[in-house]
Amino acid sequence: MPTMFPAAGVDELIKTGGSTRVNANVKSRFAPGDKVLARNINPISHTRLPQYIRGKTGVVDRDHGVFVFPDTNAALKGEKPQHVYSVMFTFRELWGAEAAEEDKIYIDLWDDYIDPVK
Amino acid sequence: MNGIHDLGGRHGMGPIDIDPKQPIFRADWERRMFGMFILAFAGGHFNIDQFRAAIELMAPAEYLESGYYEHWLYSLETWCKANGSLTDKEIDDRMRKLSKGDA
Amino acid sequence: MSSKHDHDHDHEHHHDHDNRSDISLRVKAVESLLVEKGLLDPAAIDKLVDAYENKIGPHNGARVVAHAWSDPAYKQRLLDDGTAAIAELGFTGIQGEDMVVVENTPTVHNVVVCTLCSCYPWPTLGLPPNWYKAAPYRSRAVIDPRGVLKEFGLEVPASTEIRVWDSNAELRYLVLPQRPPHTEGLDEAALAGLVTRDSMIGVGVPHVPNVGAEK
Repeated sequence: MPTMFPAAGVDELIKTGGSTRVNANVKSRFAPGDKVLARNINPISHTRLPQYIRGKTGVVDRDHGVFVFPDTNAALKGEKPQHVYSVMFTFRELWGAEAAEEDKIYIDLWDDYIDPVK
Repeated sequence: MNGIHDLGGRHGMGPIDIDPKQPIFRADWERRMFGMFILAFAGGHFNIDQFRAAIELMAPAEYLESGYYEHWLYSLETWCKANGSLTDKEIDDRMRKLSKGDA
Repeated sequence: MSSKHDHDHDHEHHHDHDNRSDISLRVKAVESLLVEKGLLDPAAIDKLVDAYENKIGPHNGARVVAHAWSDPAYKQRLLDDGTAAIAELGFTGIQGEDMVVVENTPTVHNVVVCTLCSCYPWPTLGLPPNWYKAAPYRSRAVIDPRGVLKEFGLEVPASTEIRVWDSNAELRYLVLPQRPPHTEGLDEAALAGLVTRDSMIGVGVPHVPNVGAEK
């Protein structure tokens, strides 16, 4: 059951926050430079994979490390910690041949959101 | 879910209301709502993913037309009702009581 | 989780045309109930509001930027590990636990958005402005950033690469703007004074001092 958070704890709460990074030795499936395909998932439940990224191909820019997985955490089905990657998608890939040639989106994708591309 | 909150790339949402003089809180109720959310989170009413998931259940028109902190109220109420901390009747009764008390 | 589109009572209060007075009353009601039930400490709300309304704001991020402009080794640490470098200046905590700093250069301009909600780096920038949290910016920043920047009065040449960072996970992004011209010899406090909130989101650039300001 929830409790009352006291005023005396507010300063510490502000300074500390609540990182969802998990200190666990979880294998990563991808490395910077890898080409990845965002999964075409359409859950009725919570996800942080937006529609405009699904089914698109990008390149892993960096590995942020291991974090709680929101899709399961929102349903209290476990933290399922896994790697989160910054993935680059070109505007042309996302928005078509008429889009700005130079521009790019960088979005953070959990391991469970992406598959390798040969 | 493929809800209205998933806004990336949509057209037709209108001009950006830049207003450089916007205060951080536009009304006192926004201040109270801001504080309540953080404390409810810190007190274990929900995790951050549950909090966002509930906002995503708002009716689309309501989501777009309501102010930002109204989304937070919707989510807080959803979770308080789910864990038994609050009921709609209690809220309605209290609102009635408070409005009678005001001049 | 069942859909809450169907309340099992009349939900007219949500569509009430008198929304503003109604919402204020409803928030009062919810707060008073939670306080009575021993679930909420109203003094804690006061402390939180004071912190984010009066103490925490973009002046924090401006100091980070000014320090990076002044100290190349710090700048490198900032780009390598934003969380640790920002923590060196004492800015940590809620909605800034995992920071990434992205650098503007003559060939790259960065813009930050949260298309799904309103994620924003609170310890360095304070609470986000309303436009950042609303549908127009959230929808357009990822598909028409140049049009969005134009609305903010910023024109980016076609040859400059725009990188839009969608803060959909728990990483929070801060733009390190380019140091303006005519700033040689300015101390960090003076440099910080040039750094705007909008330049650290990426919808603006820092002020340029009047020529002759540098010592």
